[in-house]
Amino acid sequence: MSESERVRQEYTQSPIILTTARILAPFVLTYGLFITFHGADSPGGGFQGGVIIATTVYLLAFTFGVEPTSTWVGHRSMAILAAGGVIIFTGIGFATMALGGNFLEYAEFVAILDLPENEVVKWGMEAVEIGGIAAIIAGVVMALVFLTAGGYGPERGEEP
Amino acid sequence: MSVSLVEVSLAAFVILAAIGTAIFRDVMAAIVVFAAYSLGMAVLYTLMLAPDVAMTEAAIGAGVTTILLIVTIAKTNRSSAEELIEVIHWPAVVVAGTFTAVVAWTVFEFPTIGSDEAIAWSNPSVTQHYLTYTYVETGVTNAVTAVLAAYRGFDTFGEAVVVFAVGVAVLVVLDREVFT
Repeated sequence: MSESERVRQEYTQSPIILTTARILAPFVLTYGLFITFHGADSPGGGFQGGVIIATTVYLLAFTFGVEPTSTWVGHRSMAILAAGGVIIFTGIGFATMALGGNFLEYAEFVAILDLPENEVVKWGMEAVEIGGIAAIIAGVVMALVFLTAGGYGPERGEEP
Repeated sequence: MSVSLVEVSLAAFVILAAIGTAIFRDVMAAIVVFAAYSLGMAVLYTLMLAPDVAMTEAAIGAGVTTILLIVTIAKTNRSSAEELIEVIHWPAVVVAGTFTAVVAWTVFEFPTIGSDEAIAWSNPSVTQHYLTYTYVETGVTNAVTAVLAAYRGFDTFGEAVVVFAVGVAVLVVLDREVFT
């Protein structure tokens, strides 16, 4: 019996868990996106929202098994989220420096955006929260459950 | 210092859950009680008007940590427990209990939540600046987000990169190349 077959057998197809996950998952994902996008005017923000988005993947992994969920999400999308978030965050920081300000001094975007200064700062913060923090957290937290469940060794990692 | 009945019962619940996490012999039972502890803490934070912290505690403490611990015991051997409770090492209980008592003593020195003697008000020119000018300067109404992403943006940049580094570190430790 291969490793993946053994892992798959640890999950029982319970109708209660399946139904609960089917109904809950879209709402949890929407809630996570709301927390992320609405963090500027209500409690929450990129960190909390990113974790809740990743929790949707945990719910799916618990319901349908870690292996199929991990294949469905794909290692590439998680790497793009985590690394892309760092690139976006750093990029915004350096963009303000290129415009003559300090690192992450959003007000410098006044030079290229036709908006009042506090609006410009708001959009800079939103970009950092959504494109940077939420993406990094969602990518890494999703990956943690697959990495932990996979355990030590490169053999599972070599699947395309 | 006035506390409501809900706060007292929640605090008692949190303390009992913490003790339960320490003394249950079955690892699975300890994990479930630990999740209950985190959820109790999240509700307490909400009552203390810190919804941003409460949300993090509920999502990370009760959600992600619990699932990662359960996945971990699924991968390792879960010792079948005969007794319900761990054998208690009394000298350790005395040391930990003394430390807890000393820390708990300081609680009575705390100012009431929201009073003008609270530590948050010890530097009113800074706190008042954030509360007064957050919308004028950053265009958002959640001062917590404004401090995290705008006023203290560089700190948050460091935190976010640390999380990315955690992902890379787990890959290195597990000797794997991709996130699956």
